[in-house]
Amino acid sequence: MSTSSPAGFSRRRLLAGAGGLALLAAGCTSGGADGGSAGDAARAAAQDDRLAGQVPVQEAVVAAYDAAAAADPGLGGRVTPLAAQAREQLDRLREAAPSATASATAPAPAPPAGADVLGWLREQVAAATASHADACLDASGARAALLGSVAAGLRGHEAALV
Amino acid sequence: MTDDGTATGGEDGALQDALAAEHAAVWGYGVVGAALPPEGRAQAVDGEQAHRDARDRLAALLDERDADPVPAEAGYELPFPVLSPVDAAALGAVLEEGVSASWVALLDAAEDTGVRRLALDALVAAEVRAVAWRAAAGRPDTTAALPGIS
Repeated sequence: MSTSSPAGFSRRRLLAGAGGLALLAAGCTSGGADGGSAGDAARAAAQDDRLAGQVPVQEAVVAAYDAAAAADPGLGGRVTPLAAQAREQLDRLREAAPSATASATAPAPAPPAGADVLGWLREQVAAATASHADACLDASGARAALLGSVAAGLRGHEAALV
Repeated sequence: MTDDGTATGGEDGALQDALAAEHAAVWGYGVVGAALPPEGRAQAVDGEQAHRDARDRLAALLDERDADPVPAEAGYELPFPVLSPVDAAALGAVLEEGVSASWVALLDAAEDTGVRRLALDALVAAEVRAVAWRAAAGRPDTTAALPGIS
């Protein structure tokens, strides 16, 4: 069944396309809209603002995981690793959008009393997925890559929460 | 674009890389399906079709740009032996994680909104399939925080 060729199929080959994205970990310093003109700078600033605007969206996801675990302690083992991933996503977004500030006024989400906690959590995650995906389409360069990856990660959470 | 019509870097280069990854995924899914019992092949059939569709869309897009779509390799080397359904599921996850990296790279390089949407939709779909394969492979973490990046 296994065959080989000079080109080969390997994780390295498939993952090669991800090279050069290291800047995602250290803030977005490049992107398709960045350039030398004032217009480019304005577009880049607008994209930075849009990226910063996704930080509160992700903060809400983290809060939703906490709220779900508090409302239904039986979910703990199931949602704990997902909550940790949501925090990792939040950290990446904050690193990429240093201008973003922690949201102090957003109300903490909580599932309605008697609600299907897992279903409520899935709805919160789905809303954030859609928001990050919309922002991805409006972004370019490393910002688009990061937002798309976060959106995909959260869509995976939705699938895992069924 | 080079004189021989080969795409160079940027968006076209990332499209070519995504196409190469999709070629590999189509081939890999053949291995995945072959290692699964007939009653368990639906997930592999659906996945293979999704990658065939993505491959064809990418090739058509490059054709429209007068770029020669990169062809499939004559053969590929498996990252590990695939001898059981669990191995097959693990390979399915690897395939989806591999294409995810190429879709993220395309998001990074995309200049056209349509290309960005193509990459985003494909990335999201790949992660959903990856979740199912990781679960079938018995991996403790079925989800990824940052598909295609980490």
